[in-house]
Amino acid sequence: MENLSLKNHISIQDLNAFYSGHHALRDITVEIPQKQITAIIGPSGCGKSTFLKCFNRLIDLTDGARASGKIIVGGIDVLDGSIDITDVRRRMGLLPQKPNPLPMSIYDNVTYGPRIHGIKDKKRLDGIVEKYLKIAGLWDEVKDRLKSPASKLSIGQQQRLCLARGLAVEPEIILCDEPTSALDPLSAQHIEQQLLKLKNDYTIVIVTHNIHQAMRLADYVVHLYLGELVEYGPASEVFKNPKEERTRAYINGTFLADLKTDAEINLKGNVCPYNFMYAKQALHDLSNGKLLKVVVDYPTAVTEVPRGMEADGHKVLSVKQINKTDWEIVIQK
Amino acid sequence: MRVRQLKDLLAGRLMIAFAIFSSLLVFLIAIALYWRSKPILEAKSLSDLLLGSTWLPFQGEFGFYPFILGTLYVTILAMIFAVPLSILSAIYLAEYAHENLREKVLPLIDLLAGIPPVVYGVFGVLAIVPLVEYIAPVIGKLGIPFLRAESYSTGFSLLAGGIVLAIMVFPIIISISHEVFRAVPSEIRDASLSLGATKWQTIKHAVIRTALPGIAAAIILGFSRAFGETMAVLMVVGNVPSVPKSVFDPAYPMPALIANNYGEMMSIPLYDSALLLAALILMLVILLFTLAARLVLIRIERSMAHG
Ligand SMILES: Nc1ncnc2c1ncn2[C@@H]1O[C@H](COP(=O)(O)OP(=O)(O)OP(=O)(O)O)[C@@H](O)[C@H]1O
Ligand SMILES: [Mg+2]
Repeated sequence: MENLSLKNHISIQDLNAFYSGHHALRDITVEIPQKQITAIIGPSGCGKSTFLKCFNRLIDLTDGARASGKIIVGGIDVLDGSIDITDVRRRMGLLPQKPNPLPMSIYDNVTYGPRIHGIKDKKRLDGIVEKYLKIAGLWDEVKDRLKSPASKLSIGQQQRLCLARGLAVEPEIILCDEPTSALDPLSAQHIEQQLLKLKNDYTIVIVTHNIHQAMRLADYVVHLYLGELVEYGPASEVFKNPKEERTRAYINGTFLADLKTDAEINLKGNVCPYNFMYAKQALHDLSNGKLLKVVVDYPTAVTEVPRGMEADGHKVLSVKQINKTDWEIVIQK
Repeated sequence: MRVRQLKDLLAGRLMIAFAIFSSLLVFLIAIALYWRSKPILEAKSLSDLLLGSTWLPFQGEFGFYPFILGTLYVTILAMIFAVPLSILSAIYLAEYAHENLREKVLPLIDLLAGIPPVVYGVFGVLAIVPLVEYIAPVIGKLGIPFLRAESYSTGFSLLAGGIVLAIMVFPIIISISHEVFRAVPSEIRDASLSLGATKWQTIKHAVIRTALPGIAAAIILGFSRAFGETMAVLMVVGNVPSVPKSVFDPAYPMPALIANNYGEMMSIPLYDSALLLAALILMLVILLFTLAARLVLIRIERSMAHG
C-alpha cells in the first residue's frame, strides 16, 4: 500500500451475508481507510448494497436476512448482537440511491436526528440547520422556505437535504448507495463536489455503477463480483493496473465505448428490424476485428441488435445507456 | 360468428346496466326515504325534531335528541376503546411481528369481521352485560363524571354497547391500518434508523406520520360501521329513550329505534314518517363518512403509485 500512515476506519473480517438461503456476500475481508473515499464497484446484483447495509445493519430490517463475521468500527463489532446499534448507526450517515426525505418540513428533516438525540434548544437547532444546509450546498436555495415540505424540493435538492440531514447527527462515516443515479447530471456533479469536500472530515464509502464517477472520486476501490471480493487497492493502481483479470474485464467493459471505434452509425429513429440490417451493412464494410459503434433509441433494439449480431458470429463488447433514450452498442467484427 | 358477437354485445350492455342500477340504488333509497319522511318535515321544524327530547309518538311528540345522542355516545365510546387498541395492534403486526405470526393472525382478524352481528349481540348479553353489571357499582363509587352509577345498573348500558361495538370495529381498523403501515416505503424507515433513531422513535415520528391520512381513513370507516350497527347494539344497550348521563345508563341509538319499532303501531300519525327520517339521517351521515374515507384512501393509493 502506498501510504502506510493511513489509518483504517472500518475493518471487515470474514463478512458473509444471506437472504433466506441466498448467499449474497462471501468471506469478505477488507479495510476501509479513514478520511478517504472508498468506491465499491461491480455489476448489478453483486452485493454492493448488501455490503453497505451490513455496515449500519439496516439489513436487519429484511425478513430472513442475516450477516456473520466482523465489521469493526472504532473497536466495536457492528455485527455483535449485544451492542447499541442506534449509536453505531448514528456514526454512519446514509445517502440513499433515491432521495428519501421524511414527510415533514425542510427544517424538521435536518433537525430530526438532533431532536431524536435530545437537542431541544431552538437556537441550537437553528444553528444546526444553517450549518449543515450550508455544508450540503443547499442553504442559499432554501433559506427562505425552511418550513415548507421537503417533498416540494427538486430531486437534486432533496438529495442534498438528505446529505445535510445525515451530517446533522455528526457521523464519522458517510455511506452512499449510488447517490447520484437518480439525479440529473448537474445535481450529480453538485453531490460529487460536496463529497470531495467532505472527505477531509469524513470517511466516505460510495457504491457506484459508474466507473467514471469512481475514478473522479475514489482514493480506494473495492471490486465485488457475485458476492465475492475480487480486488481491493488504491484507485490509481486498480484502475491503471488491475491485478485481477475480472477487474480488468469489468473496467474495460465499461470503457470500451470510449475506446477508439473504427466506425460509428447512428440508428436513432429506426425500429427493428431495420436498425439491425443497417448495422449489418455497416459491419460488412469493415474488415475483421474492427470495432463498430451503434447508437440506438428503440427499446427492443437494445437486446435484439446484440443478440442478432452474436448470432451472426460477431462479438458484442458492450451495451451501455448513454442518456435517457439512447444506448450505445459496441460490436467487433 | 354473428351469435357470438351478439352475445358479447349483450353481455357488455347487461353488465353496464347492472352496474348503473346498483349505483343508482343508493340515490333511489335516499329519495324514497326523503319522500316518506316529508310529512313529518312539513309538520315540524327540523330543529324541533333534532333537538327535542320528548319521544311520545301517541301525543305526536317526536324528539330525536336522545336517540341522536345515544348513537353518538355509543359510537364514540366504541371508538375510544377500538382506536388505540387496533392502531397498536396494526403497528405490532406491520412493524414488529414475524411474517409467520402475521400470516396466521391477519386471516383470523378478517374472520372476526365476518361473524354475524347477532352473534356479537349474544356474546354481549352473555359476557359483557354481566361484566358491566358487576363493575358498575365499583367504578360508580369513584365519582368520575360519566362513570357514575346513580341508580342500579342492569348492565344493559352504553358501556356494554360500546364494548361490543368496539370488538366489531377492531377488524376493520386493524386490517386497513395494517395495509397502510405496510405501504409506508422502507426508505422512510431507513432514513430514520440511519440517523440513530430507535425502532419505536422511527415508528412514532416517521412511520405514523407518513401513514396518518390512511389511519384517519381507517378510523372513519370504523366509525361509520359503528354508527350504523344495529343488531348487536340493540341487544345490549337497554333501549330507553332518555339522554344517558353515565356510561352505565341505558341508551337508545337510532338504528335500534328503527329496528324495534318499524312495522308496529303504524296507525299513529307521522310515526312511520318519523322513523324513516331517522333512517335518512343515519344513511346520510354514514354515506358522508364512508365517502370521505374512500377519498382519502384513493389519494393515498395514487400518491404511493406515483412514488
Ligand atoms: N431483500 C432481498 N431478498 C432476497 N434477496 C435479495 C434481497 N436484496 C437483495 N437480494 C439479492 O442479493 C444479491 C445482492 O443484492 P444487492 O442489492 O446487494 O446488489 P447490488 O450490487 O446493490 O445491485 P445493484 O447494483 O443492482 O443495486 C442479489 O442477487 C439480490 O437478488
Ligand atoms: Mg444496489
